[in-house]
Formats: sequence, C-alpha cells, structure tokens
Amino acid sequence: MRKSHGLVAAGCLAILASTLPGAEGDSEASNGTAARTVAGLLALYDFGSTDGDIVTDRSGVRPPLNLQISNPQAARRTKGALEIHGKTQILSTQQATKIIQAVRRSGEITIEAWVRPSDTGLSGPARIVTLSGGSSERNFTLGQDGAKYDVRFRTTKTNANGIPSLSTDNGSVKTDLTHVVYTRDRSGLTRIYLNGQSIAETKVVGSSSKWTRSHKLALANEFNSDRQWKGTYYLVAIYSRDLSPPEVKRHFDAGRDAPAAPAEMAGRHLAQLSPGEQLFETKIAPLLARNCLECHNSASKKGRLDLSRKATALAGGESGKVIVPGKSTESLLWEQVETGDMPPEGQPLTPAEKTLLKQWLDAGAIWSLDTIDPAIYTHDEKAGRTWVRRLTVPEYIETVRSSVGVDILKEAREILPPDVRADGFSNTAYNLNVDLKHVEAYSRLAEIVVGRMDVLAFAKRFSKSRSLSTDATMRDLVEAMGTLLLRGPLEEREITNFSGIATVVASTGGDFKEAVTYIIEAMLQSPRFIYRIENQRGDGSVWPVSDFEMASRISYIVWGGPPDRELLRAAESSELQDRQLVEAQVRRMLEDPRAMRRSVQFVGEWLNLDRLVNLRPNSKRFPNWDAALGADMRRETLAFFEDVAWKQKRPLADLLNAQFTYATPRLAQHYDLEVQPASDGNSERLTRYDLSSVPARGGLLTQGSVLTVGGDDASMVTRGLFVLHDLLRGTVKDPPPGLDTTPVPAKPGLSQRRIAEQRIANTACSGCHSKFEPLAFGLEKFDGIGVFHEQDEHGNTLRDNGEILFPGAAKSIKYKSSAELMDLLADSDRVGASITWKMTQFALGRPLVAQDAKQVQKIHELAARGGGTYASLLTSIVTSDLAMMTRTQTE
Amino acid sequence: MKKTRINRRTMLKGLGTATIGLPLLEEMTLSSVAGKAKAEVPIRAFNIFFGLGIPAPLQTEGFQGVLEPLKSLGDKLLIMRQVDQVRCDEKGINAHYDGASGAFTAEPPDGEARAGGPSIDQVIRKTHYPNGLPVGMVPTLIGGTFFRRSRVGRYVHSYNMDGTVAATIQEKPRDVFDRVFGTVSLAGGDKDFRRRRLKRSVLDSVVDDYRFYTGANSPLGAASKARIADHLDRIREFEQRAFSLKSKDSNAPDFPPRSNVPHGGPADPGGQGIDITLEELTSEWRLVADLYALSIQLDRVRFGSLTFLAAGERIRLTGDYEYGGKKLWSFDDAAQHNASGDKGCSHEWWHKFNEKKKNEQLRAHAHMKMREVAYFLHRLDDAESREPNGKTILENSLITISTESGDGRHNDVKRELSGVFHAITGANGRFKTGQIMDVDAEGVDVYNTMLDAMGVSHRLGPVEREMQPVDGIRT
Repeated sequence: MRKSHGLVAAGCLAILASTLPGAEGDSEASNGTAARTVAGLLALYDFGSTDGDIVTDRSGVRPPLNLQISNPQAARRTKGALEIHGKTQILSTQQATKIIQAVRRSGEITIEAWVRPSDTGLSGPARIVTLSGGSSERNFTLGQDGAKYDVRFRTTKTNANGIPSLSTDNGSVKTDLTHVVYTRDRSGLTRIYLNGQSIAETKVVGSSSKWTRSHKLALANEFNSDRQWKGTYYLVAIYSRDLSPPEVKRHFDAGRDAPAAPAEMAGRHLAQLSPGEQLFETKIAPLLARNCLECHNSASKKGRLDLSRKATALAGGESGKVIVPGKSTESLLWEQVETGDMPPEGQPLTPAEKTLLKQWLDAGAIWSLDTIDPAIYTHDEKAGRTWVRRLTVPEYIETVRSSVGVDILKEAREILPPDVRADGFSNTAYNLNVDLKHVEAYSRLAEIVVGRMDVLAFAKRFSKSRSLSTDATMRDLVEAMGTLLLRGPLEEREITNFSGIATVVASTGGDFKEAVTYIIEAMLQSPRFIYRIENQRGDGSVWPVSDFEMASRISYIVWGGPPDRELLRAAESSELQDRQLVEAQVRRMLEDPRAMRRSVQFVGEWLNLDRLVNLRPNSKRFPNWDAALGADMRRETLAFFEDVAWKQKRPLADLLNAQFTYATPRLAQHYDLEVQPASDGNSERLTRYDLSSVPARGGLLTQGSVLTVGGDDASMVTRGLFVLHDLLRGTVKDPPPGLDTTPVPAKPGLSQRRIAEQRIANTACSGCHSKFEPLAFGLEKFDGIGVFHEQDEHGNTLRDNGEILFPGAAKSIKYKSSAELMDLLADSDRVGASITWKMTQFALGRPLVAQDAKQVQKIHELAARGGGTYASLLTSIVTSDLAMMTRTQTE
Repeated sequence: MKKTRINRRTMLKGLGTATIGLPLLEEMTLSSVAGKAKAEVPIRAFNIFFGLGIPAPLQTEGFQGVLEPLKSLGDKLLIMRQVDQVRCDEKGINAHYDGASGAFTAEPPDGEARAGGPSIDQVIRKTHYPNGLPVGMVPTLIGGTFFRRSRVGRYVHSYNMDGTVAATIQEKPRDVFDRVFGTVSLAGGDKDFRRRRLKRSVLDSVVDDYRFYTGANSPLGAASKARIADHLDRIREFEQRAFSLKSKDSNAPDFPPRSNVPHGGPADPGGQGIDITLEELTSEWRLVADLYALSIQLDRVRFGSLTFLAAGERIRLTGDYEYGGKKLWSFDDAAQHNASGDKGCSHEWWHKFNEKKKNEQLRAHAHMKMREVAYFLHRLDDAESREPNGKTILENSLITISTESGDGRHNDVKRELSGVFHAITGANGRFKTGQIMDVDAEGVDVYNTMLDAMGVSHRLGPVEREMQPVDGIRT
C-alpha cells in the first residue's frame, strides 16, 4: 500500500480527517481490510506517477486509456495526487471505446472519484470527470455546480446533454477530501454517494444504447468550452456495472490508497513466495532434480543421502551434513559441486548454476518444499507459455453446432487436417498450427455451414430488422450476432469490418439474406472464431482473465464448445470473477450432455485410444484377431469410463480397479468371458460384464485398450513406461545413445519376466529399468492383444506378482497378483494426482510446469475433498487460479 | 503525387513504371480494337457523380469560382444550372440519398438498394444494344472512390430498368482492372464475377481481422502473434490461388497489390468518417480514373458510371491543395471544425454553408472535386482518345456529370433539391457545349430531352406525366 500524504488541511478538517480512512494517519487502519473490487472495472487512475504529462490507466483492462495533461503548468503532480490549479484539461489520448462499448452493453455504470475541490464556487458544472464531445453533448459528466455535485448520464430518454441530471443538496460540496460515487443500474436507478453514504437518488430511465461512440474521456474541463474544475484528484475509477451500496462503503472504508490494480492483487495472490522461496522453487529444486536426484533419491539414497526431501537433505548422509545454511564454504554440497566431483557422470554444473547454488546456500538455503518431485520439472518454463489456442477439430465441430445449430462433423472430419498429438494430447496449443489446408477447409466449411442454415431465422434471433443499411440496424445485428458467434462483445473495428460486407452485397444488388449469409461466413473464418483469443499482454504479472474470456475458458474446459447464452449473460454481469458463481455455472453445465462428451474426449486423448482403430497385430502370431476388436476395445474403455465417472459418479481412481467392464460378444469371447448376447441380438452392442468373480480383470490396465500398448510382444518396457508416465507421473532418462533396444524374444525357459529381471540385474540398466519394468510385472499374464494366459507360447509359466515403487517413495511395495497391483494403484494418491495433472493439462491445453505445481496440488486436494469424482476435479480446475488467471507478457 | 499516370501509350510501351502491375494483354498490343476498327463512332454514355454537391449560389460564379477546373474543358461541356430534382424527395430520408438516387434517374429511391427507375446510361444501352454489347466487352462498368456507403444509392449510379444496380461496383484499382482485363470477364458472366467479388469481400474482412491480431494493438503475446501471422500468410497464399488472375500472357505479373485507402467496412465506420490525406485520396481516384478511361479507350467499356466521393461523404481531409501551381488551401477538416468523428468531417462545411460568408473550406473542397472530375474528363480528351471522326471520346460520348444537391443544409428540402449542378458533353454534336446555361427545368425533363436526342424513345419518370422538353440544350 502506498503511504498517503499530508494533504488534509488542519483545523476545521480535523473531525472529518478522523473519519476518513484515506486521510493521513489513518491509512494503515485500512490496510488490507477492505479490498477494492475489480469486477467490471474499466478504467482506473491513481495518479501514481509524479512526472510527465501522462496519467496512466492502471485498470489492467486493455487497451489502457491513458490521459494527457494539456497544460502541465496548471497542474502539480505528487505521488498519488494530481492538483489542478490553473486552466488545463486531462484528456484521453484516444476515444474511450472500452468504456463506451461496455456501458452501452450493460446500461450500468459506476463513476468513482476521490477528490478535494479547491472551492465551492466552481460552476458550469465544472467537469470533474466527463465523457463528452462538448458543452452540450455527452455520455456522462460528473461535475461540481457550486456547492452541489451534479451528474449527467445520457440515455434514450434524456437529451443529448444528459439532462435531467441528478444533483446532491446545496452545501454538500466541501473542500475536504471526498469520496464521490455515482452509480446507475440497468433499471435506471441512479445514486450519488458521498463518503460511503447514498445521499441522492432518482430514476433516469431509458437505455445507454445511443451513447456516442467517438467521445473521449476527460478530467478537469470540458472539451470545447471553459468548464474548469480545480482541486486535487487522488483516484478516479469507472466500472461497467453499478457497485452495490456495501461495495461503495467498502471502497470508502478502503480509502483512497487501497490497492486497486488487479495486477497487484493478482500478483499478491499468486506470488506469495519470498525471494528466497522463489529462488529455491524456480531454480534450485529443478537444478537438484536434474543433477542430483537420479542417485540421491528416497529409493536409491546413494551415500545414504536423499536430496529429494527437505528433512533428509538437511540431515545429510554418511559423510554428515551436506548443507550448512548461510555458509556455502562449509557445505559439502558446494564443495563437491565446485570441485566437479558431483555429479559423477554427465555434464558438470554450468558456472551460472554453480553461482546460483552458492547464492542459495549463502542466503540461508531456504527449502520451501517438503519434497522435490522431478516430474514437475520435466518441462522448462517456456513450455508453460500461453499460446493462442486454435480450436481442435472436435472443438470446431462443437462450436459450429452450438453456435449456429449445424452438424458439420462429417465434412469437418474429412476436410480439416487432423490435430497432431504433442505432450500426450492433441489439444496442446503450441502444436495447433495452421497450414494452407486449414485455411481452405475453414473457407469451404463456412460455405457449407451457411448453406445449411436458415439464415433469416438465425438473424431474427438478434434483430427484427431486415434493413441493409450499415449505419444502424445492420451494425446492431452484426454486434448482437457477433457476440454469440465470436463469444463476446465486438469492438467497433469488428462491427465496422463485418458490416462492410453488407455494403458490398448491397452494391451488387444483393439482399438482406445474402448479406447476413456472407457476414456469417466471414465470422466463421475470423480469428475469434477459429482461435480462442485472450488478452496476453500486460506487465508480466498474473491478471484475472476478463469476463468473456472466462466464459470461454469455462465452456471449452467443461464442454469443449462455446459459451451458451447463460454463460455470456453471466460474463456480461461480471459474475464469472466470483468463484462460487463459477462453481454454480459448472454444476449447471455438468448436467448437459456436452460435458460427458468432453470427458470422453479427455479419456480418449489420455489413453491415446484412437490408435486402436488402426491396430493390426501380426496375423501369423494372432490368427484369431478380428480387426473389429480394436474398435471394440476403444468402446469398452469409453463405456467403462462413462459408467464410473457419470453413471456411478465414483472417484476417478476407481478406474484402476472397478470390477466390471463393457464388451461386445466378440470382445467378451476374446477376453474369455462368458458371453452374454445382447438382448436385441445386435452383435455390435456393448454389454456390461460384472468382473467380481474374474480376479484377473477389472480396471483400465486389464483392458485391451491399454494392454495393447506393449505391442505384439507385450513389452514389459513399454507397458512399464506407460504406467510410470501416464499413471504415476514418474521420470526416467532416455536410453543412452547407440543402445541396442531390439526386444529380446522369449523362448522356452526364458519368459519376458525373466528377460526383464535379467535387465534389472544388469547394473548398467538397473538404474532406470528398475523404476518401470516391475510396474508391468502384474500384467505378464496378458499377451500383446490382451488375452489372459497362464503360460506363454513357449510353455513358460507366467506370473503376476511383483513390487511397485511409487515415485518419491523410499521403499517399494510388494503385490501378489494383478488384482493387488490394481488396488494399490487405485489407492495411491500419486495416481490420483497424476489424473489431476492430466486433466489439468488437457483443460489448459499446455504442458504443466513447475510454476503450476502448487496450483495443481491445490486442485487435487480440493477435488479429493469433493470425492475425487470427475465433477469435483473439473470444478476444482475451473475455479483454480490456473483457469481464472493468466500470466501476462510484457510488450 | 506518387503515382505514374496510366494511359494507353504507357500501356503499349510496357508497364514497368505503372503503380500497379498490369498484365500485358494481347488486345492492348493490337493496333485496332473492336470498336475502333469502324469509322462509325459508337454510342456511349457514362454518369459521373461527385458527392455533396455545389450550393446553387456558388454555381453562379461560373469559372471564376469553384468551377474553375472545368474551364479548360468549357468548350466541350454544357454546364446546366437551376436543375430541379425536388420530385426525388422521399419523406423521412435526407437529401443526400434522395438526391443521389435521383441523379441520372430523376426518381426517388426504392428502398435501400434500388433506385426508383433506370439511369440514363442504361436506358441508352438497352436501346442501342438491345442484343447486348459486342462479345468481350464489359456491359456496364461501375467504379469509384468513395467511403460513405450506408446505402447503395450514395455511390452506385447505373441502374437497370427495374431499378436494381446495373453491375457490381469496382472500388479498388485492382478490381477495376480485374473486371475489365481479367479473364473472368471474358469467360464468365457477370454472375460469376459477382460471386467472386463477394467472396473476396468476405476474405478481405477476414484478412483485416487477422491483420489486427498481428499488429501493434494485438492483445496477443509474441508466440501467439507469430501463430496468427502464420495463419495470415496462409490466407494470403489461399487468396493468391483462389483469386489471382489467370492472364493470357505468361509474363503477366501477380495479382495487383492492395489499395492503400480503406475499403469495405473500415471505409465507413458507422458514419463517423475517416481520416485521409489529399494525396491518398487523389492517388487512388486517379488510378481508378486512369483505368476507367483506358477501358473506354480500348473499347472495352461503353456504358457505366464513375463516382468521386459518395453522396453525404464523410472524410476528414488533410493536406495542401494546389491548383495551377499555386497553393489554394490547406485541408485540415477536423482541426478547422475543432471536432472529431463525424462532426469533424468536410461534410459539415455543407451544413455550415452561409451565403453571406466566405465558405472557404467548402469552396476548397468543391474546387478540388471539380479538379478531379476534370482529370478524368481530360483523360478522354487527349491524343489517345482521338477517334476516326476527328473528335475525342469526350466529345463523342454522352457524359453526364451531377451530384446530390444544390444546398446541403437539410433545413429546406425544396432548396436542397433545387439548383442541382449538371454538366453534359456534346454526344457527337447532339447537345450544345461551351455554355453555362440556366435551364430552369426539372431533372426529369432534362434527362428525357437527352434521351430523345440520343434516339431513345423510353422516358424516365411517371408514365402519365407529359414531358416538357428542354430544347435549349439541343443543338
């Protein structure tokens, strides 16, 4: 919080000063107790700069609407204040478009100012804050007319000057520090508050839809005439909604110096780490993970030193303490690293890394994590960068369907190039690039879509007019239609651009329908349709996402499609900044079939089920393989997921050991289950099979869709890596270059299990292979296509006992059977957390990085408290800071 | 002025210095083209429109005032004053639109995209070419440089017999070029061309939108911006493939570059007006005018219309205006109005017209418009335009020049739609030239007299109305 300045005059102001939280001596009392709201904030001036002629808009709402002091000699700037003592004007450098657009839409406003008038004789009214075009033409003006405050707000029922106005009583203006707030709600109820109390109220009916779009914002004077206001500004804020009486009171209580910029608030919210903690979590922990934990982890503990945990790391190893906080020279860790003795293999630390390590030790070796999880450092910070997200093919199809009611699935699947998987998902934004084929496809698809639409009926939803005039009605139609199609309000630039198409159509003798058709065709190809455009620019800190951006984030996370009208309404009302209201929206949306479809997409991506369609095992080895089985396996897993997550609403961890599955008669036979023919005799129909009496099966890992990842040979390596990466989020280094990775075939007397055990016994291989191959031991009885056997083709007896080492754990846990392994996995918090990571990654469309780890952990804990179900996990993701905030990039 | 003038001679010499790349088409190198092979002069009719009009009192000053730039063409023009278009008034709509629709049709508008009747050029075309124009010609070419576009009548000035627009307006130099010299105009009909035009306008809007997200005001960070820039590149590639000309000549250059002035929606942001320099305006217009004139010289076009600034045009013009080697004025509308948006546009000078005052700004604008209209007319009067009968295309054709009103103050419809400036050429000796004449007649009668002289029996205006010939204009 900034310190306030001693600007309150002595004497007669003493009483007032004692009641004004913004006044000298009182500011600390308000510190942090009453935050200012940012919901609906459009522009904010806190006069923080002391020099130059620019007053910066610090709302964080783009584009900034900065103001310029026309005559700096008539103004005096001090930190947090701007005193006007002569003739000048503080004028926005551009049209106040963001304010005008927002208020035209909302019909609501709050104009807030902390000011101290220089005298009570200023008249005209003298302009304190004005959005106008001259002395008789305005959208609004907050002014001082002698000893009264006077506010003019233009509606369709007032004149162009915003008259009749609302005034306070004569004598209400004092030359004291004053908190003046004007609010108007959509019904037309307007109020003026002074120092937190409502003191004037009236009804100003009509709408703000006719507000002039070209007006600029100004302080201290009118544009073309002399309506000079004199006094001192401490804060001016404008909102697109009417703050409630308690909010106004809270702002008053918070004082003129209350932290207001969302960037600051958000920054505090997320960046709660001290510099020392930040150093550890962003630099030292990854450094240790990359260079030391391969040997000094809880399981290996070389030299009895475990650097993965705070307690063990500080305790030291067989050579005693290795970390002496504050003293690098006495720390064995430093000595070993500096001399190059550690790490013993691979690249030594770079000079820069060494410097960091030394700085950290000397600064007290702050260790702010209980455990260092190498998995969270898999990707560097760059991978967490925000990329604009192109709609994936399923998202495009859903967006078209939801927006205009046309099913384009068949054509989109045919024409659009498929999205390519990256980092485990095909919705990874950095990989969603575009090629000529996309552009051609979007153009062609747009043509097909409008060809199938009842364009006139669609247009009628937004406007009764069928006029081709581009001045008013067509612009209104474009604006309303665009808000739905482009998932948020349009800027003037866009309205103008799209309306222009109507002009061209008209000039070629076309009609209204044709104009709307082409406009929709253009919108369907515009960047705001094809991409999810969000503001990414700012000061580099974390900002809340805007209302409409949030609406899209919610809808694409939950539905994989665009916001519906209710979400857009909530965005317009700034409700989506409130976590509880967001939660309520998610609850509502989970009832919609789109939510289930989206979840199925997630599972398909996570387990890469699309590969099953092309599964072609060696026909000599598996002569009974039916090509339709691959698709059956895919359907089995999806139906199984739907049952667990949606029908039974069970915790997602149950996916690992739920004792039932779904199969076609064909697949049931393949699995050697007692075939239950479908009641209608349809051989393609899935039937639910209870597996409580089939100990070998039950859970995802026992389904053909997952078992086939090991290929024809049922590779222990591939299956083990799948469990390690996709269920346990473990890390393992790549095999050394040049290593012969040709699978060793089983033979009589040598089963795959035995081959794996030999590898693990080999010291050159064991470091890595011991981490993942045992994870597949429990699956040995399933062959490459998921059929259960007690013996392999060479007559070797197969086993399903083994042991599992959860990443980070010190000791492995033994299991006697495949079923026990499934239970261990289902009960493991690590597996639950991994599902959270996967789902969060899918929701955000990017790999998760170390910076995200704490938030993901929070999501996981919150979801677990909610029962660990799909719904609770999804809700936790949507209401997390990862979804509600965005890290901005500097210019 | 940056541009290089395009005329037939430079086309024939090779196109290296032309501002836009023009493919060297076969017919441009022929010593004679269809129409020119005959000694007979073809019937041609064109309507030239300029926006906002000339207040009647200023017309009385003749070539001493704002009409000065027409003086050099005075011998070849009949300037008509006191032409009344009051019958074109449509209740509830201001005179910009009514008057503009009435120009060349003498009818009030019929809705937003139709005129109340045909325009004179089209009536003449229908009479003289009842079976269509010779193969390969563009039936009607409509072009122009304009920005205000809320209604079609503001800028389109050729209408079919049923009042619908006679052709798609070409508003960019490359559009005019494409329409006249592109293979589509030879192979395909107007319908194909229209569809292409509309498709391109959709793509133009899309390109504009993508461009925004790659520009300085983009909300995107560097990586995302690069992704959108990639997309934009692909769209341009797509555009090249989908819309580039397939010229007859293998050496033909690529599709001409984009125009530098706003078109489509951005040209008319909700009636708020645009900022434009005199150089931008006249460079664009002169290129369109050159291409239009070239089309006539090459006998690819015999009918149509050309618009220099729309009715009720809203621009905020800046730049020094010179005429005859002297600086006459510095345009700076917004500053001189001390206003922004629509209130800062040149249009406001017409609202503020006051006979008792100097009206310097209005005069400068009107003078400039006459200079630019004269530019086009001169292009049809040069050595390249000399025809077998010894006269120039300008002299041989019927060219009608008009505008929307005789007063722009919107407070008296009668006054507004009276005294609407008109000028015509001699049409190969059919009309008097070299005069400034107070005709004191209705537009409908003037137009019908012109039609009569052109050997056209169809009459504009209400069927039952008896024509009152304005014989004074005929030779």
